[in-house]
Amino acid sequence: MSRSGSTLELRHVTKRYGGKAAVDDLTLEVPAGAVCILVGPSGSGKTTSLRMINRLVEPTTGEILIDGADARREDPAALRRRIGYVIQQVGLFPHRTVADNIATVPRLLGWKGERVAARVDELVELIGLDRSFLPRYPAQLSGGERQRVGVARALAAEPPLLLMDEPFGAVDPIVRERLQDEFLRIQRALGTTVVFVTHDIDEAIKLGDHVAVLRDGRLVQYAPPAVLLDSPADDFVARVVGADRGLKRLALVPVGELPLRQADTLADGAPLGGGEGFVLRLGPDRKPIGWVNRARPDLAPDPSSPILRRSTRARDALSLLLAAAVRDGVVVDDEGRYVGVIGIDEIASTFERAE
Amino acid sequence: MTPGEPLVRWDWIASHAGEIATRIGEHLILTGIAVAVGLAIALPVGLAVARRERLYAGAVWASGVLYTIPSLALFALLIPFSGLSVLTAEIGLVSYTLLILVRNVVVGIRSVPEEVRDAARGMGYAPRQVLWGVELPIALPVIVAGLRVATVSTIGLVTVTALIGQGGLGAFILDGIQRFFSTPLILGAVLSVLLAVVIDSALAVVERALTPWREPERALARIGAT
Repeated sequence: MSRSGSTLELRHVTKRYGGKAAVDDLTLEVPAGAVCILVGPSGSGKTTSLRMINRLVEPTTGEILIDGADARREDPAALRRRIGYVIQQVGLFPHRTVADNIATVPRLLGWKGERVAARVDELVELIGLDRSFLPRYPAQLSGGERQRVGVARALAAEPPLLLMDEPFGAVDPIVRERLQDEFLRIQRALGTTVVFVTHDIDEAIKLGDHVAVLRDGRLVQYAPPAVLLDSPADDFVARVVGADRGLKRLALVPVGELPLRQADTLADGAPLGGGEGFVLRLGPDRKPIGWVNRARPDLAPDPSSPILRRSTRARDALSLLLAAAVRDGVVVDDEGRYVGVIGIDEIASTFERAE
Repeated sequence: MTPGEPLVRWDWIASHAGEIATRIGEHLILTGIAVAVGLAIALPVGLAVARRERLYAGAVWASGVLYTIPSLALFALLIPFSGLSVLTAEIGLVSYTLLILVRNVVVGIRSVPEEVRDAARGMGYAPRQVLWGVELPIALPVIVAGLRVATVSTIGLVTVTALIGQGGLGAFILDGIQRFFSTPLILGAVLSVLLAVVIDSALAVVERALTPWREPERALARIGAT
């Protein structure tokens, strides 16, 4: 099922309504399989830019190239069937079941019934819904379920390019977080090129390979999230990314990528020996148990250091260390085996590099 | 009406069973033609004006004017042109359905959520496919509601067309009035009402069958939630 996404190129694209430019000379390149986020305040032209890609809005001037081919040369309806489209209000067809909604584009493309049914089954699994949802109508779904079905419908014909306009804007924060994680998992698995509109900078940083910051229809900065946070192009971008951009930068870095220290460790069953200071007692399989004070061998190991996985984000690690009021966290691998330790100081040094 | 005569003479009704069936048939045909032609006119007109506010206002005004002309006067006006014919009857009957039908077609089309239309276009529906595959099915409940009101009011109006010799249940009423004979008068009126109730219920059943997707909504309405 995995296939590579389209490349997308916008060249000097402008959209004028009357005399006013909603999008002004936008040039943007999205590599195949990347997630490009358009972010900016309302009225910055991000939705208009998105809708020009599938020609729901026709550009006044400029070129849009999908896999190098000019989008204006193709019949708009045929073009749109090759491009997935997800919007905030979802827009499921209320008179069709979940299965029929998902089958929309395959049927428009004239797929055979069996192939459509097999694809619908594949997609409900992909989006993590039970098959019992298939005969239901949209009115019987929760907001999060509708949004999942909307994504499945957009992905049904395996489009190499997917357009999403604030797809998670209308669901509550907890559901949004889960939908974002699922989106990333699906996008990585399929390798679809995605253009994604949001006004939420945290969402942009979390999901984007590249983030385009728009203001009054103009592109202010186009860069990967880390670059955007490290060196905002101007005050406007700095304000958009927020005063806490250092912390946001930490959210992008997994603990496993930071330099770890090695603590004194004591393998399972090894004698404590004499001396001073703390040593990390490991259990069977080198799983950390807790700190032992050499001077007080009578006390049980102290487990208060937070256990961090290598994939734990530096920001979350910092937060856990602050909450536990300890200096060091113990980093473990996916099997829970000791890898090293990291302290607030080491994390803070990343923060300095970010500045 | 002669004193001592019963209000309804059942023996008269029994002996006129054949004529009753014929009159009901005529009534249904006159109604059916009127509503079908009315819908055939209202649908394209409604679609044309749904997104053009001034045209819509004009269409409602024009069909409203037609609606206010008393039916007797309208038939009298038409007789010099089309005589005592089915055409005369139907011109009048169709005119009276237009106000309701045009308005309901427009309200139905406007009830389609903009995001649904946007999603349909974005997914690659051609304009015609948006209309037939998305807009009309979603507008259907409102259009059928209009159809029900138009049908019920037409069934009532058809009784008047007996005056221009087009039969239907109005013929019994006319007969009763002319002969001071209450049985056919009451028969015509009661059957006309019954016919309206039965057809209205039948259309309601058809609407339910065509819109299974509104079942959750109806279930909520039944338990009194909104």
